[in-house]
Amino acid sequence: MAAIELSDVHFSYPGAEGEEREAVKGVTLSIDEGSFVALVGHNGSGKSTLARMLNGLFVPTRGKVTVFGADTADEDKIYDVRSRVGMVFQNPDNQMIATNVADDIAFGPENLGIEREEIIRRVDWALEKVGMSAYKDGTPFKLSGGQKQRLAIAGVLAIKPRVMVLDEATAMLDPKGRDEVMAVTRQLNRDEGMTVIHITHYMDEALSADRLIVMNDGLVVADGKPRDVFGQYGLLRQIKLGVPYATNIAIALHDAGLDIDPHIVGEDELTEAICALK
Amino acid sequence: MRIEVKDLSFTYSPDTPFQKQALSGVNLQIEEGDFLGILGHMGSGKSTFILHLNGLIKLQSGEIDVFDVKLVPDKKNKQDLRKLRGTVGMVFQYPEYQLFEDTVEKDVAFGPKNLGLSDAEVASRVERAIRLVGLDYEDVRTRAPFELSGGQKRRVAIAGIIAMQPRVLVLDEPTAGLDPYGKEQILELITKLKRECSPTVIVISHDVDEITRFADRIVVFNDGKVAFDLPMNELFRHSEELTAMGLEIPRAVAIADKLRARGIDLGDVVNADDLVRAVVRKFGHGNMDETAISKLSASQFDFSAEYGGTAAGGDR
Repeated sequence: MAAIELSDVHFSYPGAEGEEREAVKGVTLSIDEGSFVALVGHNGSGKSTLARMLNGLFVPTRGKVTVFGADTADEDKIYDVRSRVGMVFQNPDNQMIATNVADDIAFGPENLGIEREEIIRRVDWALEKVGMSAYKDGTPFKLSGGQKQRLAIAGVLAIKPRVMVLDEATAMLDPKGRDEVMAVTRQLNRDEGMTVIHITHYMDEALSADRLIVMNDGLVVADGKPRDVFGQYGLLRQIKLGVPYATNIAIALHDAGLDIDPHIVGEDELTEAICALK
Repeated sequence: MRIEVKDLSFTYSPDTPFQKQALSGVNLQIEEGDFLGILGHMGSGKSTFILHLNGLIKLQSGEIDVFDVKLVPDKKNKQDLRKLRGTVGMVFQYPEYQLFEDTVEKDVAFGPKNLGLSDAEVASRVERAIRLVGLDYEDVRTRAPFELSGGQKRRVAIAGIIAMQPRVLVLDEPTAGLDPYGKEQILELITKLKRECSPTVIVISHDVDEITRFADRIVVFNDGKVAFDLPMNELFRHSEELTAMGLEIPRAVAIADKLRARGIDLGDVVNADDLVRAVVRKFGHGNMDETAISKLSASQFDFSAEYGGTAAGGDR
């Protein structure tokens, strides 16, 4: 079943003197429930604008987005849409609102008018899911970047959404923080069946997704299994996006005349291919 | 000319329940011309150390000599601090958040104006700095910084520091949050700035793959002390100790280590370019001479047009 469907979606930002800038120029996609989708594209490619249309933060200027059948442009359904699609943004410091961790997570369900006993249960459950139970009574501001983003994820989880959109949620983290966030996200996808849409600049993070969607200049230019998409490395370099670390090395070795497949995506594969040269 | 740090210790919130020792007995010399990388996980003391280099933290104990400006505890000297800040230029994390003027030109001029230079000198430095960072001076000078793309804004912020013509340029996580192409552009830019503007460059990064692209020497902070201070090719012979400190090993080193375990010794490899060259030397069957091999690169983008001198510079 499709969790989210986009049909011929456009979005324009209003500009000075009536000039509009079209950031998304006609995207048609269907996101399967339970899938882990990576969305990549350089700055200005339209991917963050697209992300904001997935839970009705932005409504398409043309075309239609439906979330489990509900049209995001339908004002009567916007609460359904927002409670089904949670968003985690780039800067962890901008997403903390309370002075203690438990209150921060309770903010979402409180606003949905959920009863107190249930909120308490959800806070404990969400903290456990992101591995932060020990910090329940602490202050969010003393946490590391990775912990803050896990807290932001817990805050979204407490609303019990079925889709989680991470908009460059790992961009400001150190390698350890990135690993923490990715591990939590994968686990939610695997154990809870959460649909994940992960927007990232790290091509190596995109590798482990079920599906990789590449945006350029407001359009989807590649869509498929990560391995197949990274196989189109010429296109990816042309749109200034790049490929995973091992792929770059494989391409350079291939171009130097060695018998190495330039479609290699992983470091272990690369190691094997170099060993095979012996 | 050099930076010399002797027995530097620093404690945050001393004599309170929140007391935390950030540096203990750090000794370090940085020579003019060094391309120094600083590694260390969060809380290792690396940022506290860097803040000392241009007097942003008051010295508690130890001595610091930056190009003959001497700092000692409990001595106040505004003249020295002014000189120090003209010598060491600091580019903090996400420097574009600090842009505040309504035009690019005014923003870049802020630093040199505060150095008390003449208007003509300020104007010429501003133009040079904007061109150096690869932006089109005529196009961007009167534009508002917020109209620019993320990568362009960061370059404007760097231009503001460069316009003060610091002999030492310190950059803290200079590529954080940028897309792959934006990252590559900043890395190219840093190399260029070292060549044409600030001969001594110090970069803090937790992206070890990035640091191995350009640094000659790496200092590793751990627990408030200098754990390693080595030329780059020697540092990663200590990969086990670095891993034990919670640091990442460059991916090229990890791959070379795996190959070594399988009986293929590529020698010292620290980055992707080294790895490519070493593999071609070993398995290329002589179809390339050494000059050709030394030009091989795993880098994905070509910047020869962008930084070739005329610097057109938009990345939108």
